[in-house]
Amino acid sequence: MFDHGQPTYAEVNKDVLSTMLETGPRYWILLGTTMSVAGICFFMPWFYQLIVGVGAAGMNRNAVWGTYLSNFIFWIGLSHSGTLLSAVLHITNSHWRKSIYRSAEAMTLFSLMTAALFVMVHVGRVWFVHWSFPIPNQMGLWPNFRSPLMFDVMAITTYLTASSIFIYMGSVPDFAAVRDASTGLRRRLYTIFSFGWRGTAREWHTLGWAYTFFAVFVIPLAVSVHSIVSWDFALSIVPGLHHTIFAPYFVCGAIYSGTAGIVTVMYCLRKFLGFEKYIGQVHLDNLGKLLIALSLIWSYINILELFSSWYGGTSFELEAVRFRLTGFYAPLYWEMILFCAFVPILMFWKKFRLSWNKMLVISILINIGMLTERFIIVATSQPRKFLPDAFGFYFPSWIEIMITIGSFAIFATLFLIFIKWVPAVSIYEVKETLKPLRRDS
Amino acid sequence: MAIMASFAYEDDFLAAARNLKSSGFDNISLLSPLPLEEAQEVLGLGKSPVRRFSLAGALIGAASGFAMAVATALVFILPTGGRAIITLPPYLVITYEMTILFGVLFTLLGFHFYSGLPAWRDKPYMEAANIDRFVVVVEGTEGEQAAQAEAIIRGAGAEEIRHVEDES
Repeated sequence: MFDHGQPTYAEVNKDVLSTMLETGPRYWILLGTTMSVAGICFFMPWFYQLIVGVGAAGMNRNAVWGTYLSNFIFWIGLSHSGTLLSAVLHITNSHWRKSIYRSAEAMTLFSLMTAALFVMVHVGRVWFVHWSFPIPNQMGLWPNFRSPLMFDVMAITTYLTASSIFIYMGSVPDFAAVRDASTGLRRRLYTIFSFGWRGTAREWHTLGWAYTFFAVFVIPLAVSVHSIVSWDFALSIVPGLHHTIFAPYFVCGAIYSGTAGIVTVMYCLRKFLGFEKYIGQVHLDNLGKLLIALSLIWSYINILELFSSWYGGTSFELEAVRFRLTGFYAPLYWEMILFCAFVPILMFWKKFRLSWNKMLVISILINIGMLTERFIIVATSQPRKFLPDAFGFYFPSWIEIMITIGSFAIFATLFLIFIKWVPAVSIYEVKETLKPLRRDS
Repeated sequence: MAIMASFAYEDDFLAAARNLKSSGFDNISLLSPLPLEEAQEVLGLGKSPVRRFSLAGALIGAASGFAMAVATALVFILPTGGRAIITLPPYLVITYEMTILFGVLFTLLGFHFYSGLPAWRDKPYMEAANIDRFVVVVEGTEGEQAAQAEAIIRGAGAEEIRHVEDES
């Protein structure tokens, strides 16, 4: 499992904690850059939109959904895998999970936060967003829980809460390690964060049980979240969206893009935080195999979606398929097929699967493809409903493009802050994968 | 007084814990840098009652989720195309999500309840126990008993033994 020989227990503490406690100028430059890009590309255009109204975006009468919602789905999708994969691998007792899960779970959390921001950007009058929660108010208004959008509110709130608790509880013993290695204010803070953890058998025992139950709750939750996101579309009767396959399609796509995202994040952790010792070929190999399986399922569902539209034979569905395959956005559709169905085939060869650089490129291409997929779902279906005289056209405005770019900077900023506050690799779980400290070993 | 002893090896540490337990020392804590099932077995920690919290949370969540969906529909009646005001299929989604939300929150509560955390008061602790040492703490021992505990610990191969004040 370790490419460069097994570290000792003390080395694990030292290696992981040094990434938090020692900060060079490169980190500050990177953080400054991502924060600036987030401010200029995300918050400034959003502020502009708040002043002039949502008309600043490219949405119009027949296309009331745009990149804000496609980006929302993308980020929700990217949030899958992190917590889900971590929970599944925990339940199945897969040891290779232990050095990568913490960052994967952080990815979930920050993707969810970024996704939630897109809802706020999309709704326009963000100061009324609390109306979507069942909070008593002076108008006696209550959310309509028959709406899939309300399913979304409940699912995402639950997912955000559960993912935060899942990552936090898994980090408590490591917070204690940070507490012990630091002084002053940081020590006092981590004493609070670690709840006064000492590592007694009782504490480990209770944490182990609680963590397993968190995992058990998180798995069906993660599946439900993206199913529910798919119902935002599939429960409408819009041609191109009204498919029963949408829930598994979205869940599969989400895990697919999330797994690709994990590969990208692991590459960065190795490259910039020096985790080569802990994140090795076995992780790349397993993630590569998982990506191949997911790409095949994703491709199959895509074919099935086209087939069911064709087999159904209604003119509306056939037109939706025709527009998707040969219309204005056809180049994007075929780009998506190339990146998500054909490029992953390369991973069948070990030469590709075990090369960090090649896997980085493949994982980025997959996520470009998945971002495009979400855009196509929104842009080629909803504005072209039924009769041609009601057809509209959607093209993102510069505001939407800027905000899309800015969202990546927000995610990167949150992740950069995370690696200085939480050990990016689980110290105690890595120790579990090492040879036990016994006299006979 | 408490005796705190550190061990470099897991097997020595477990042997000390077993011997202490069989000699009638019940007030012992076993500190380790990673979870050790054998240490939990020595202390007789079986299935954790945290699971009862999880079950209770899930049931309360399911009931309150469904009740919330029904109550909001009744408080703010929104007739749509002659459909029923209380509609089961969409409310099951809300019920499902609330089941999980409350299940998770109650599990968290169960963790705090049974682990004794947060524990802000100072308890015998050695920082090496979070790095690469296994620590046995025998609390509430005085005089002859303390000497007996120390002898057991030393016999098991303790690296370092400290006498510290405890709260008992």
